[in-house]
Amino acid sequence: MNVNGHPLPPPDLSHFNENRNKFPADELRKYVGKHIAWSPDGTRILASGDSMDEVEENLIAAGIAPSQVVGSYVPEADAIML
Amino acid sequence: MGLTFRYKLEPVAHPILSLGGRWVRPRPIVAVTLIGPADSRPHDALLDTGGDETIFPDKLASKIGIDLANAPAGQIHRIGAAVIDVRYAEVTLRLADNNERREWNAWIAFARQKLPYSVLGFAGCLQFFTSTFHGDREEVTLEVNSLYPGR
Repeated sequence: MNVNGHPLPPPDLSHFNENRNKFPADELRKYVGKHIAWSPDGTRILASGDSMDEVEENLIAAGIAPSQVVGSYVPEADAIML
Repeated sequence: MGLTFRYKLEPVAHPILSLGGRWVRPRPIVAVTLIGPADSRPHDALLDTGGDETIFPDKLASKIGIDLANAPAGQIHRIGAAVIDVRYAEVTLRLADNNERREWNAWIAFARQKLPYSVLGFAGCLQFFTSTFHGDREEVTLEVNSLYPGR
């Protein structure tokens, strides 16, 4: 999505990190194993899907530019990073 | 002062014995924006001092207008895991908190295989910062160093 042929400028993420950590863990658990799109202020999950492409399709269907969200993945609940 | 990010708290299915029974696992994951010639994509990535490279899924490259068809190719060998095929391209990365914003150009490895996380490793990211991981506060601070090429 763009405006008059120009891409939208990247969103302001200055408060993303602090707000996302206030998001209820129980709510986030519903998205385990899913790709998700966060609102740029970190307060809401705007779309989800089994792949990045599916998330973008859902965003576009909802009229939201994929460049204006934060893409993420909710790992399996017992995953350990090495 | 530098950029400061609280660790992301990720829910787990069982109490974590090694963390005193917590139900969330704190990880230094930050939202970084990849800016390409046609578009941009903010995306989560793990700040990884053990990572040699900065790696994102190759699907992101096409979404920001980068054609990887003739890009330099490479392989990344992960300890005890499968080899990852990558293509390299130069993009602009942006990190911001509520006090500061940093933007710089870097060579990024775009991986064909699915990764559990995108990685902000040494090349392309941590080489340009003095990074301090505060285990007690569960936050990381990044201060630009003399190699920082951005603005």
